[in-house]
Amino acid sequence: MRDLINRAQNAVPGVAFIAILLSLLEAAARLGLVDRSFIPTPSDVAARTVEIIASGKVVEPLLATTLLLFVGYAIGCLSAVVLGILMGNYRRLYNFFEPLTELLRPIPKAALLPVLILFLGLGPSMKVTIVALAAFFPVLINTVQGVRAVDPVLTDMARTFGHSGVAVLWRILLPASAPYIFSGMRISLGISLVVVIIAEMVSGSGGLGDVILHGQRMFLVVDSYAWLVVVAALGFGLNSLFRWAERRTTYWVSPATQ
Amino acid sequence: MFKNQREALADANSDRLAPRDAWAALSVRRIVALFWDTRLSGICLVLALLCLWEASARFEIVQSLNWPPFSSVTVALYDGLATGDLESVIGSTLWCTLRGYAIGAAIGVVLGFAVALSRPIRLTVEPTIEILRTIPATAVIPPLIFIFGLNDPLKLFVIAFAVVFPIALNTISGVASIDSIYLQVARTFGVSRARTLYRVVFPAALPFIMAGLRTSLGLALVVTVVSEMITGTGGVGYYLVQMQFALRAAEMYAALILLTAVAYLLNRIFVAWETRVIHWARTREAAWSEQ
Amino acid sequence: MERAVKTSPRSMNGEALSLGGITKIFTSRHNELLAVQSVDLAVQAGEFLAIVGPSGCGKSTLLQIIAGLISPSAGKVLLGNEDVTGQPAHMVYLFQQYSKSLLPWQTVEQNVKFSFSHRMHLSRTATRERCREYLDMVGLADFRDHYPWQLSGGMQQRVAIARALAAEPRVLLLDEPFSSIDALTRLDLHALLLDLWTQKRFTAVLVTHDVDEAVFLADRIAVLSRRPGIILEIIETGMPRPRSPLETHENPKFLAVRHQLLSHLLAKPESVDARPH
Repeated sequence: MRDLINRAQNAVPGVAFIAILLSLLEAAARLGLVDRSFIPTPSDVAARTVEIIASGKVVEPLLATTLLLFVGYAIGCLSAVVLGILMGNYRRLYNFFEPLTELLRPIPKAALLPVLILFLGLGPSMKVTIVALAAFFPVLINTVQGVRAVDPVLTDMARTFGHSGVAVLWRILLPASAPYIFSGMRISLGISLVVVIIAEMVSGSGGLGDVILHGQRMFLVVDSYAWLVVVAALGFGLNSLFRWAERRTTYWVSPATQ
Repeated sequence: MFKNQREALADANSDRLAPRDAWAALSVRRIVALFWDTRLSGICLVLALLCLWEASARFEIVQSLNWPPFSSVTVALYDGLATGDLESVIGSTLWCTLRGYAIGAAIGVVLGFAVALSRPIRLTVEPTIEILRTIPATAVIPPLIFIFGLNDPLKLFVIAFAVVFPIALNTISGVASIDSIYLQVARTFGVSRARTLYRVVFPAALPFIMAGLRTSLGLALVVTVVSEMITGTGGVGYYLVQMQFALRAAEMYAALILLTAVAYLLNRIFVAWETRVIHWARTREAAWSEQ
Repeated sequence: MERAVKTSPRSMNGEALSLGGITKIFTSRHNELLAVQSVDLAVQAGEFLAIVGPSGCGKSTLLQIIAGLISPSAGKVLLGNEDVTGQPAHMVYLFQQYSKSLLPWQTVEQNVKFSFSHRMHLSRTATRERCREYLDMVGLADFRDHYPWQLSGGMQQRVAIARALAAEPRVLLLDEPFSSIDALTRLDLHALLLDLWTQKRFTAVLVTHDVDEAVFLADRIAVLSRRPGIILEIIETGMPRPRSPLETHENPKFLAVRHQLLSHLLAKPESVDARPH
């Protein structure tokens, strides 16, 4: 009980801060201090957001974006982890692939959008591809780093008990480098979200990015902010989900190695 | 391991063989080892892929306007640089990136220190940070157009917005990671709080701050390109979209290559500077760069 | 007391393990390091052998060569009658850094399972029974659902021992297993180790720099010289078993052997020619 009261007390300044900011904005807009046709009141935005959700208009774009994000992210991360573990463990494989990945890595993945549009058009395959590319590299680098950081005592120990090479990869290297992999996946999540939105904006074929841009082009000020709130909620939700998954998988990491 | 050992001992004994045979045997083995044990195999892979690209385009194995041979791309690159088009485009992007990055980094570091060192500030500001940091910067651009209009301040704000939170968070974790023993030592010697901040806290947090600054550089560049694509206000982003519409693939690839080279150089310069600044840290992070 | 040897295979001489002419050279780009030179050693089945030497003399290297973790530059290791290449099935290695050798994301019981469940295909119940049996032997039955980082150093080493024995090795190789454990816990673990060795009758090869430990535990002690390591002498401890932590240390034979060992180890470095071959 004490703990709960403490937590509530600690939350007060933060919540108050947000409340005060929003009220100031509301007041400024209502009093005409800022042009309401450009900066809507928080209450208007909130109302529109609720309307979007309640009417079910939110479902289609939200689902489209989330699905594409998920598929692209999964493909990118999975392939990066597989390649990363192999590259981290086998020096020759690393030597073989490293120049190529080092060459491709600095490319700002969003800049690949026009190229991919020329090849894959404006549809979901283009979006999934660019998200996968964006997610791939941070995870790859972190995975390799993680595998390298695994204490050789663990792999030696597994070998002395007669575990095969594959078993060592799967049962030792993968779990042991999990903290690093998650760190890379967290970076990738942020990048993937950015990239999927811009991909939708540029291709104009549905999804949250498209809807926000549409709001701007049609001069629907309140709409555009309301959809921004939806995107923010998506980002926040995904992030929280990620942190939960990370905590559950890396429960064993001691503070010293974190 | 055992094979190398045998080789090492054999090399030592090789002067027992006939000189000509010995030389030949050494060469072949050495070359194979050189190929697989160094990055040479990887470099050959890249060259092989480039040749494949050139061949597949020239011999029309892949028939498409979008697939110009690598040689055409180099020609376009040369032309673009010669006419100054590419320079101005990339220069404009770079200038925008650096300004927005500088603003965001400065605010981020200050914010980070403020939150890390002052509990009241942390309690007040932390929830807002937690909410704002997960908003993808690209989604913020269209609504902000209403406020800023389609020009520089918009882009600078968006870049700064994208960069400020990762940097602040890295700063916070940098300060948090300071071994309390440093602070205890300072207290034992009666060092003032201000001095402790300047002499102990700031340098100790520096490796983390640098790591955050480094990764945010790439992020700033991406956000710049993205905002140019949306707002159509010049720079590489807009150029790439234009070339895409005009179906001028070679120019598009050329610009992409130049952009990548610039991004790579920027990173290298930063890492070189970073290693100088925190030469005492010698962490593994300093040798790895992430994006 | 007659020692019945249970499962050790016999070569023609009743040896469990024999080393012939083991040499190891570490090469790097700039120089070569001769770690161990022409070591011959025969370990009898079921005996407890200690290898003692100063720091850096190559004793850990020797043990790793026996375990198959490192390949020798020259010479052979025979387990029973077979050449040792790679990791032989009936030999288990106990690491010096025991806490780093335990899988931190698995419980104590799962860690014990790790040593044998992939080679012996037992049912889930049988596997669990076996884990609990060995954990019980080391006194950690109540901790089977804990994680390694929740245990003290001594307890972690006991988990490592339980894990090692659960694989029912014929030969147990111990690499300075108690060097980073406090003195009192160490005595406890000595008693535990001897107890288990008496019960399970494996061959034990212990590498240590702790002279008292070697004399207390072992039947024979091989003394290694400074680098490059060669065997200076093999000393029989010749004390009766079972040994007691309180009384054995006061046994005159103990003191004599200890004296002999220390006089080797504390001697000033000699020139290479003066060493016995």
